[in-house]
Amino acid sequence: MPEPMPRREWECEAQGALPPNARRESVNAAPVTSSRRLTAAEVSRRCDPRGFDFRTTGELEDLPQVLGQERAMHAIQFGIGMAREGYNLFAMGPEGVGRRTIVRRCLEAQAPRRDTPPDWCYVFNFETPHRPRALRLPAGGAAKFRQDMTRLVDDLRVAVPAAFESEEYRARLREIETEFSERQDQATAAIRERAGGKGIALLRTPAGFGFAPMRGNGVMSPDEFHALPEVEQKQFEEAIAVFQEELERVIHETPRWRREAQRKLRELNRQVTRAAVNGLIEELKAEYESLQQVREYLAQVQEDVIDHAELLRQPKDGEPSTFFGLPLPEAGETFLHRYKVNLLIDHAGAGGAPVVYEDHPTHDNLIGHIEHVNQMGTLVTDFTHIKPGAFHRANGGYLILDALKVLSQPFAWEALKRALRAREIHTESLGQTLSLISTVSLQPEPIPLDVKVVLVGQRMLYYLLHAYDPEFGELFKVGVDFEEDLRRGPQSDLFYARMIATLARNEKLLPLDAAAVARVIDYGSRSAGDTEKLSVMMRDLADLLRESDYWAASAGNKEISAGDVQRSIDTRIERSDRICRRYREQIMRGTLLVSTTGERSGQVNGLSMAQLGEFSFGMPHRITARIRLGAGKVVDIEREVALGGPIHSKGVLILSGFIAGRYAPARPLSLAASLVFEQSYGSVEGDSASSAELYALLSALSDTPLRQSLAVTGSVNQHGDVQAIGGVNEKVEGFFDVCRERGLTGAQGVLVPASNVSHLMLRRDVVEAIEAGTFHVYPVATVDEGIEILTGVPAGERDMSGRFPAGTINFMVERRLSEFAERGQPRADVAAKKAGQGRRRR
Amino acid sequence: MKIRRIIVGLDSVPSNRALLEAAVELAGKAEAELVGLFVENIDLLHFAGLPFAREVGFASATRRVMDVEAMERCLRALAKEAQRMLEATAAPASVRWSFRVARGSAPAELLAVARDADLVVVNIAPPGALPPLAGARVVLAGDAGQLRAALQAQEGVLVLAGADHAHIAETLRTLLSEEEPL
Repeated sequence: MPEPMPRREWECEAQGALPPNARRESVNAAPVTSSRRLTAAEVSRRCDPRGFDFRTTGELEDLPQVLGQERAMHAIQFGIGMAREGYNLFAMGPEGVGRRTIVRRCLEAQAPRRDTPPDWCYVFNFETPHRPRALRLPAGGAAKFRQDMTRLVDDLRVAVPAAFESEEYRARLREIETEFSERQDQATAAIRERAGGKGIALLRTPAGFGFAPMRGNGVMSPDEFHALPEVEQKQFEEAIAVFQEELERVIHETPRWRREAQRKLRELNRQVTRAAVNGLIEELKAEYESLQQVREYLAQVQEDVIDHAELLRQPKDGEPSTFFGLPLPEAGETFLHRYKVNLLIDHAGAGGAPVVYEDHPTHDNLIGHIEHVNQMGTLVTDFTHIKPGAFHRANGGYLILDALKVLSQPFAWEALKRALRAREIHTESLGQTLSLISTVSLQPEPIPLDVKVVLVGQRMLYYLLHAYDPEFGELFKVGVDFEEDLRRGPQSDLFYARMIATLARNEKLLPLDAAAVARVIDYGSRSAGDTEKLSVMMRDLADLLRESDYWAASAGNKEISAGDVQRSIDTRIERSDRICRRYREQIMRGTLLVSTTGERSGQVNGLSMAQLGEFSFGMPHRITARIRLGAGKVVDIEREVALGGPIHSKGVLILSGFIAGRYAPARPLSLAASLVFEQSYGSVEGDSASSAELYALLSALSDTPLRQSLAVTGSVNQHGDVQAIGGVNEKVEGFFDVCRERGLTGAQGVLVPASNVSHLMLRRDVVEAIEAGTFHVYPVATVDEGIEILTGVPAGERDMSGRFPAGTINFMVERRLSEFAERGQPRADVAAKKAGQGRRRR
Repeated sequence: MKIRRIIVGLDSVPSNRALLEAAVELAGKAEAELVGLFVENIDLLHFAGLPFAREVGFASATRRVMDVEAMERCLRALAKEAQRMLEATAAPASVRWSFRVARGSAPAELLAVARDADLVVVNIAPPGALPPLAGARVVLAGDAGQLRAALQAQEGVLVLAGADHAHIAETLRTLLSEEEPL
């Protein structure tokens, strides 16, 4: 296959940099044959549809149990059954595993077996109006009670005014009024009579009374008065002054008489109202005989109505009252408001305990809130404005919440804990709690709380809460830990097939044929990143089935085939692999320098993995090592520039330990080495490249070139054992994609840790290339195995005399380090001498 | 029986409303003209002219110095208020109405204008204190039957007198509630 121009230029550059004694491997060089290579069967465990005895999933029964979540299911059952305080549940696990669905299903299965909780309503508190009373009624009873109270108020509206319209009342009222006015009239009449005896008239003026001397039937005119002798004038004036004082005394008595009349009137009103009201309320009291709270409330209503009968009378005729042109509510109507019932929770028709999921768990949505209404520019509220929260709705049952949402809502977490700890719901607006608002507010009577809360969140949240919130452990004693995957045993493929069948039926999807099921199982295994496991990430699986159904339906198929499943996998990748393609393109164009042929010392292809959204991919990187005489330090350039994460740095430091321990146990390590991920401009984390870095270092020390047709992944310990890493499939495929685009030579392959072999579930095209012998995967257990594959030179073991055989990599490395140590020794002696002289001088 | 003109004596303001409403209703039903008469009581003006005139407040029992000017101002205000109330009551009912102010003794002035009316409604205490008027018949409030009989007899001016506005209004309403036409 002709190579693209950029690669050739890049190769010239690479070859130009080779040391003179480096060996070169031709493009068509024979592959490494001395080491074990994995077979196609070892790099992927395919599910064989011929093993299934069904044709489509339509023939399979539903799977009743939840697959692979036995531990979580036991925890849920325990948590639900445990009625003690603090046994709330925290369902943890990764997103998409189906935690919420499973929890909800379990709770919904349990809920009908429990009693339906009582209804709750808030009513006016006649003793302390700012503390509305909470009334508990049997399920479905609150709505009826509200109706009964509405009817009572309607009846009162008619009965009370009717009582006041009665002839009896009017007669008695007139009697009281007449008594008062007669008393007043008699007092003034007495004065009038005595004044008349002295020729003085008592006149009604516009605002009161006045005394004036009389002439005939009328009042003496001023002229007539002035015509009187002065003595007579004086007599009149004095007499009038006396009468005025007397009248004042009488008028001063009037308020007392009026109060007396009013008292009599109130008593009359009470008598009349009592007669009208008692019949109505007693009937209700009898109906609610068994509910003490309600009975007490009705007794209070009875007294209150009698006390305020005046307000229950029909509004007076005339213009409606206004305030600056705004209509004001009638006093009677405003007053009747207090007999309303605020139905907070109604369980009418519910068969068992409630299961509530609160999607927006704000402080107010959890514990309820108190609304205010604007009245003439002022915010006012009363017990009818108390609104229920999720705790009220779930009381007596179960409440499911997203832990992260609760934690990210201001004060919601504290409110949740407070309610669980106090086992009561204190409804209080946040503004009031924080003293942010200063307006009329309420303190509703708390409602007893009996609820099982299930928080759903990621494991990290669970552990963080446990570590930082001392109350968390007390309140959430049941951890429900969901698995991401299930062990792939002999029966698991069939169970998995039944789970797929159940999912397809629930989602109303086309049935899958056996090959499609096998393909989904392969996908499940690949998602788990393990040939011995199957993923139980239900969201991902359901999405795959939905997308496969779409492609099958688009093609007019009646069943989902393996091709449809494959197409949905491929199109998913296609939709999200833009960055991966751009990256590969950079390699193809020679912008990013990665060799897939030839040899070079101190240079190796490392493999990295990136995750962007839900798509992860592997990519080769050039890792280089340079050495010189120095003070025994391996410099990780990534770390020096703060691009390397702590685990990456740890991996590099382990290399120093390995080199010093193996090659220079009894002499100073006079080596200065630098390691770098070439053309890497972002942060690097993880130790999966530490074996590659070690190979580069050993190659540089032994001056032995490494095959560039191979890429390496795996971490290494201080003894030189190669250890497992994550993302092995993506990494192998990443290098394969680059090699394939350049043309597979048959010499290319990847060294993977032997302990990762069971995780290999490679893509079909990679498996096919391995089967055809055009690509290889080498399991490597030790650094010695790896270096032999990469160099074609034996690593060498120490003989009886403790020396490595000549010509081996280890021999060359040790010899180079001895040379460095010898050359470095005089300098170290001089430095030590200088330091000693310095001390003496001091 | 035909009532063409009804005269209503108006004095202290707030308690007038019920009486006025009843009179307006009667005038509407009888298609008669309603005349409101406000009498500025001459006795009050004489009283105010006295050097030691003091008004003792109804509720406060405080003494207030009175003079003629103040009393006239007070009476004018009351007259205006009475007129406003008459207008507010009669106009929406589409009843023809007029308003007069007279000065003198209330019964005398009422009876002076009564000659060109069929029915005079007057609030006077005691009702028997009305001076005699030739050709006029006085019916006391509370006796709607007698009032109807007198209206049907049509023997000159009819005076409905009472000591209480509400009482007079009630008599008028009883008359109106009867089915027979006026």
